[in-house]
Amino acid sequence: MGKISLPETASGYFEIRLESIGGLGANLCGKMLGELGMKYLDLNSTSFSSYGSEKTGTPVKGFIRYCKKDKEIRIHSPIIQPDLLVVFHQALLWDGGAWEGCHENTQVIISLEGGQEKFEGKIPVRVKNCYVVNAQKIAMETHSRINMVMLGAVAKVMGLTDLEDVNKICADTLGKKYPDALKGNLEGIRRGYEELRLAEANTADRMMREEGINQDRKPSKREWGYANAPIGGINPRYGSTVTADLSPSRQGYIPLFIKERCINCGLCDSTCPDMVFQFAKGEYKGREMMVNKGLDYYHCKGCLRCVDVCPVNALVQGLEAEHPDKEYFLPNQDLVRMPDNYVKTGPDGYITSESYLTEKRMEGGEV
Amino acid sequence: MEKQITEYASGNEIAAIAIRQIGYDLMGYYPITPSTQIAENLDIMRANGETDLMMIAAEGEHSAAGICYGAAVGGGRVINATSANGLLYAIEQFPVQSGTRYPMVMNVVCRTVSGPLSIKGDHSDIMFMLNAGWPILFAHSVQEVYDFNLMALKLAEGVRLPVVVAYDGFFTSHQKRRCMRFEQDQTVREFIGPKAEVYPFLDLEHPITVGSYMNEPDLINNRYQLHLAMKRADRILPEIFKEFEELSGRRYQKVEGYRCEDAETILFLLGSSYDTALEAIDQLRGKGKKVGAVTIHTLRPFPDKEIASFCKNADNLLVADRQDSYGAGGGNLSLEVRAAMQKSGSKVNIKSLVYGLGGKDFFVEDAVRMIEWAENPDMPEFEYYGVTMGEDEGEQLTEGLTGVMPAIENDSFFAPLTRERTQIGATQTKKAENGKVEVSGGSINATAAIPKRLAPGHGACPGCGIPVNVNLLLRAIEEPVVLLFQTGCGMIVTTAYPRTSFKVPFLHNLFQNGAATLSGIAEICYRKQKKGEIPPGDIIFIMVSGDGGMDIGMGSALGTALRGHRLILFEYDNGGYMNTGYQLSYSTPKGARSATSHVGKEQYGKTFFHKDMPQIMAATGIPYVATAVESNPIDFIKKAAKAAFYAKTTGTAYLKALSACPLNWNDKPATERRVIEAAVNCCYFPLYEVEQGKTVLNYDPEASGKKIPVTDWLSMMGRTKHLQKEAYAEIVKEMQEEIDRRYACLKAKAENPIL
Repeated sequence: MGKISLPETASGYFEIRLESIGGLGANLCGKMLGELGMKYLDLNSTSFSSYGSEKTGTPVKGFIRYCKKDKEIRIHSPIIQPDLLVVFHQALLWDGGAWEGCHENTQVIISLEGGQEKFEGKIPVRVKNCYVVNAQKIAMETHSRINMVMLGAVAKVMGLTDLEDVNKICADTLGKKYPDALKGNLEGIRRGYEELRLAEANTADRMMREEGINQDRKPSKREWGYANAPIGGINPRYGSTVTADLSPSRQGYIPLFIKERCINCGLCDSTCPDMVFQFAKGEYKGREMMVNKGLDYYHCKGCLRCVDVCPVNALVQGLEAEHPDKEYFLPNQDLVRMPDNYVKTGPDGYITSESYLTEKRMEGGEV
Repeated sequence: MEKQITEYASGNEIAAIAIRQIGYDLMGYYPITPSTQIAENLDIMRANGETDLMMIAAEGEHSAAGICYGAAVGGGRVINATSANGLLYAIEQFPVQSGTRYPMVMNVVCRTVSGPLSIKGDHSDIMFMLNAGWPILFAHSVQEVYDFNLMALKLAEGVRLPVVVAYDGFFTSHQKRRCMRFEQDQTVREFIGPKAEVYPFLDLEHPITVGSYMNEPDLINNRYQLHLAMKRADRILPEIFKEFEELSGRRYQKVEGYRCEDAETILFLLGSSYDTALEAIDQLRGKGKKVGAVTIHTLRPFPDKEIASFCKNADNLLVADRQDSYGAGGGNLSLEVRAAMQKSGSKVNIKSLVYGLGGKDFFVEDAVRMIEWAENPDMPEFEYYGVTMGEDEGEQLTEGLTGVMPAIENDSFFAPLTRERTQIGATQTKKAENGKVEVSGGSINATAAIPKRLAPGHGACPGCGIPVNVNLLLRAIEEPVVLLFQTGCGMIVTTAYPRTSFKVPFLHNLFQNGAATLSGIAEICYRKQKKGEIPPGDIIFIMVSGDGGMDIGMGSALGTALRGHRLILFEYDNGGYMNTGYQLSYSTPKGARSATSHVGKEQYGKTFFHKDMPQIMAATGIPYVATAVESNPIDFIKKAAKAAFYAKTTGTAYLKALSACPLNWNDKPATERRVIEAAVNCCYFPLYEVEQGKTVLNYDPEASGKKIPVTDWLSMMGRTKHLQKEAYAEIVKEMQEEIDRRYACLKAKAENPIL
């Protein structure tokens, strides 16, 4: 359909779903893809994001629907069965929800650190083609952002023979306001387009790590319904957020604890927003006091506030990938019962302002 | 036809464009999801010099409606936008405006009314407007949002009534679509025409009184005039539609139908679901089924005759409501459609379903199932669609009441925080000889032994200051605590159902009213203790609020302080409405960029100084007011302990902490404590307390040789970085002077106890 050869589907729509984490710019990427379709590809299009989402680290879904130019887009519901699934962050691969509705004609693009040689495990569903691109590396090298690299990758899979139209949409969106940022972003797009690789067939089957995918996570399945939920939305399960595993909100770094340096001052505990530090009664230099027994990495979001305040460098920044077995990993000490399973999740979202965040991040703020 | 251009825009974006093109005089508003983007987009246009719309960020929707009313009375063209509880908070203003007959336009971006708090879209808010005397146009597509905004003002001025343009939150407000708009603003302005004032209020030579005191026998006549105006609206709407069609080529009627002529079954929906349902209609028609769909564009005046004429040939009509008029046997729309059909003498079989509450998605398949429901005589005549029972079917609710709480104590993750577990004596307070409170202990190490009242796993952004400050507060307080959070990030990230972070009794209430609500809880507790109904022993009641809650909820907080209830009001000040995406608050630093104070050639950021809330609270005469920061944790713990002492013995204590927001301050999460420290060292956030009316400065950066200019602090945050530019030197200078002035006042107060 349109100027490019998107496959004709039964519904008449070509549907793209972006799976991302707040801060990677999926919202803007979706907006640009939508606009690209309407303005330059001779298509009709719509785009929107999952609502209540742009806190840093929150899972975000973006949706783009294309159809023939003369067709009205009437559907408002989110995309359940994508023709193209775009995964912005590999942490999302462990979430069964990210794979929801993929089918044998779905094409998949995954941003994967280290490229495809890092693949292990397998894709939980049969898909048509699986592509990978090291978007983080390209973004860092080109001073662009992951969303621009993924935009280039999507253009490739959609069958755009060159980047002329994508570059135009990038210039339309960013060029006027941030001419300085344009060059790097165009470069990011180009490299995303060129460096996208088709994962080898058997590689795709080995894609996931051993810990596997939490396939139980179906958004519609609720333990509490009208027949058994306490009335009034009351929640008697005090402290129940403890079952959340917030590691997906980390951006590659964790604090490492060098216990022999620790003077047990407790500043880390005073600055940690996430109650990671497990102080318990103990002895230090012959004195009875509260001592730091370890870190509850389930809830560490990797903000590194603790590293900044530690006066003796007993907490240092480390690359998480280099520390698969975290020393001094200690789940919350106040638990009287361990959660049956920790549910990997990002922070809760709420709607934030596109106008502010887009600008902020374009000016070189944190990705 | 006039020249038009194609836009790719969301409902909120196109609404802002329409508002700009119309050339309104003034917008009074208060940010609330999902309508906020309208003001944000207009603020960008303002900053860039594309509009001279005067924008007034009120401290709450009630005031926003007041600002709009005043400006309308004054003869301005006025616009507002709101949603959900914002609409309800302002609602007493709306009949005043329609009753006194001052036109304006308000976009209502429909969202679920709390509580439990939901930000997503349904129609529970807009239906509260049915009796307000405002015509209500309902747009089900982005295109209609634009078109109706233009027609609304023409209608408003044509009948001298304020008019609502309503559309679905998120589904219409946030989804981007292709749509058309007039190229020239002139086209829009000529269509609407000049504004005629009947009795110009500001004509000093012909003074008028607006807002008479009017009882029987006159008031009923005033209302009859309003009724006639609504009838006139009903009459002139087709003329406006026709005139608009000639300009745009887009044809509107009060009622829109799809494949209804020979339809045996018709699905009646309001808003974006109607569009989605058309897809189902086509599918079913493809299978030979005679089905159609109907929606309305005018909720008021209600187009009963037109509805009846669309539905007259059908056998089955299913009205699906995205809200419920609880106890009435259907949502408001279905009740009115039933009445309309009965009035027309139709014998059509009507059923009602309530669906899609709290933004629950509506898929094409849902429309198909609804049609099947309508056609199946075994399905009930009124029911909820899309509810789930829950996994455990053991204990059933009967008629919405449960006798027993589900037995879940046994699988709690934490042991209850009993008095014994928290009262360990790490921090102790007593009244000293000079009458002031003295704190001993309170070291960071020792207070680490107090079990945290918040469980980990909450959803705050990495590096967020809110949990840091709440934990610092609570580690100093060893008595059992009861917490009330006003609406804001702190509440959203801790209470996302079906989980909660709190290990102690917790209540959320809307942020106009948290302090008053806590007054009620505290007083009933003290009363029950006195009567022996609950065990004795000190309990510390704490309200936690952001600086935003201290804007809209300032009246409630001041009232609580003036009454002197024994409780703590704790404010975490991150200088903005972060929960809704960082719109300016009254505590945002002057010059700071926010989503409603953009930086551009015509605007440098926020235009007025940060609010001095501690001094406002001190003026109420409460026994303890203090400021604290995480970069001085020992001082923080001492102050928290003192606040608790006063809350249990004397009256209200107010404690304010500067709280980092890495996302919106636009700085690094790791270094926030240093940013906070710099705010103290530049005297933007001086550390002091006002104990029993006496001011004490706890830390003097000058004396410690650590004083820095305010610009050093401003340069640490992305939101104020632009102020480094030469062009903004004057702003920084003003800011420095104001900070110095406030600090000098504090010093004078500290040196002179009488002050």
